[in-house]
Amino acid sequence: MQEPIFSLLDVERTYELRRPGWLNRAPRQLKALDGVRLDLQRGDTLALVGESGSGKSTLIRLMLGLEPASDGRVLYGQRDLAQLDAEEKKRFAREVAFIYQNARGSMNPRMRIADILAEPIRLHRLCAESAIAERLAALLDRVGLPAGLLQRFPSELSGGQIRRVAIARALAAEPQVIMADESVAGLDVSVQAQVLNLLRDLCRESGITLVFITHDLGVASYLCEKIAVLYLGRIVEQGPTDAILNTPRHPYTRALLQAFPRFDMPLKASLSGEIPSPVDLPKGCRFAGRCPEAQAACRESDPALTAFDAERQVACLFPVAGAQ
Amino acid sequence: MDCAVALTTQAANMPVSEEPLLDVRDFSLRRGQAVVLDGVSLALQPGETLGLIGESGAGKSTLALALIGLLRAPEVQLEGSLRFRGTELTRLKEADYRRLRGNKIGLIFQDATAALNPCFTVGQQIAEPLKRHLGLSKWDRRERAAELMHSVGIPEPRLRLDAYPHELSGGMQQRVMIAIALACNPELLLADEPTSALDVTIQAQIMELILDRVRELNSSAIFVLHDLALGAQVCDRIAVMYAGQIVEEGPSERVLAAPLHPYTRGLKSCVVELGSRTLVPIPGQVPPLDAMPAGCRFAPRCPKAKAICGEQRPRAEIRDGRQVACWFID
Repeated sequence: MQEPIFSLLDVERTYELRRPGWLNRAPRQLKALDGVRLDLQRGDTLALVGESGSGKSTLIRLMLGLEPASDGRVLYGQRDLAQLDAEEKKRFAREVAFIYQNARGSMNPRMRIADILAEPIRLHRLCAESAIAERLAALLDRVGLPAGLLQRFPSELSGGQIRRVAIARALAAEPQVIMADESVAGLDVSVQAQVLNLLRDLCRESGITLVFITHDLGVASYLCEKIAVLYLGRIVEQGPTDAILNTPRHPYTRALLQAFPRFDMPLKASLSGEIPSPVDLPKGCRFAGRCPEAQAACRESDPALTAFDAERQVACLFPVAGAQ
Repeated sequence: MDCAVALTTQAANMPVSEEPLLDVRDFSLRRGQAVVLDGVSLALQPGETLGLIGESGAGKSTLALALIGLLRAPEVQLEGSLRFRGTELTRLKEADYRRLRGNKIGLIFQDATAALNPCFTVGQQIAEPLKRHLGLSKWDRRERAAELMHSVGIPEPRLRLDAYPHELSGGMQQRVMIAIALACNPELLLADEPTSALDVTIQAQIMELILDRVRELNSSAIFVLHDLALGAQVCDRIAVMYAGQIVEEGPSERVLAAPLHPYTRGLKSCVVELGSRTLVPIPGQVPPLDAMPAGCRFAPRCPKAKAICGEQRPRAEIRDGRQVACWFID
């Protein structure tokens, strides 16, 4: 087996909360991520799925090296992200691109599209200044935008166009890995379909490794071959997309699937309650409070992510049985 | 695909009353030169739920806001008729409208954080329509507000009465807004994308809650939605809007299972379902308000468009129990 491009080894991320007024009081800790293990192979397309507060965005920030892990290690290739030297950091920045959730907010409103797209090319000295224009035109063509947009400002572009520019900027430095945070949320269905098709074609054609954050299991299943479901800072289930859709093994995954709006099924509120605060984590399984299958043992011992079968890992004491 | 299982066939069982609760006839709304809504017609019976569906800019929210009389600026011109329980809304005085809003017509906005006033407790905000419309005493208002919070599934309502909106989660804020909208048992509830800012599991809870409460009160509801599958799950009828017009309207199981208008078909082929293999986007974009095509507004993006589509606007025809505005219905 080929060595993974990214490895997360029991990664933890805690934030200390300060309470005003009292001296000598032990600060409370918010555990955003708790013991995440994940291997990403070259060419994988992985969706991180979960509700708000599940730790998806924290996980991707750690994988981008924007934040250090409180415990555990994030490896890129064989190197720990926390120990990269300046040269390696620069290479990492070129090889791993990020598409922000708020595409418009991630661009300088006073820069023209041409300058926004040329910035990574110039920074990494990927081609001669004279060849940049040609390269920009090729980039826009690749994301299906007319070259005429190069002289425009971000505010002059529509929501769909700005997402395409964000994708083009991520592609500008010819990365090996693209990470994207909710890149199609809030778009009209027709534009969303265009952007999804574009991302899917790009990954298929160029073999880019994709890590895609979404709260939408439909989008995850369309774009990615693997899915990791997060709940309160932990991966509760991961495996191939089809297997997860057809036979979810974790009750939370099943609840997410049941709550997904479908033409051929009645509305079903599959879970009661809300995701609890990550500050005061319950003892035992952190999903037990909302889990329809919870038993006494679930409130006592905290299940680790273990192999369910050859491809699937589940963190549940009593995984959902049955073919469907 | 059979959508019938997804739906309550409440509408079919209801006796059709003399006059619909809401009757929109040939309603147009202009803002200066721009025609934002163009010849919209639909009727809603008591107890029915209707979904307005379409891309941004289709006029869904505009129609909802016009119904509740929040688009009455001098530059806005209304034509045609909006009748609610026999009252003509387009000529209603502001003072009379105020007696309607929050009383007979409730409204739920998309963004609860923005819609709730950050300076008042949720208890005070729920109590406001109880004071204004029902004239309850201070003590009764507080009691009723706690009951309402309980009825929308807020745990420990008496403790939360004195909470400010920022102390509640997004789902809880949405519940507070539902409590405000339902405070006076409205006959019509307007919900503008009530769950699009929420997670799917919370979305299902909130939608179930709204439907339960609406049925309990025997009210009607209009949902503005962008999610077609959710529309199939919660609405008796669906009106598909495009560029300020209704292109197809009818029972949701028919409209969404076997769409007749090319736009409805196009929308459906863009919907990401679990395990979707292909998505076929609709080419092009919604035309800007100041450059609407002369004939059918969808013609420039329509795969079936012929010469006549670009020249003349198609009239809505009744076909298979629904109204469809297209020259080439097959």
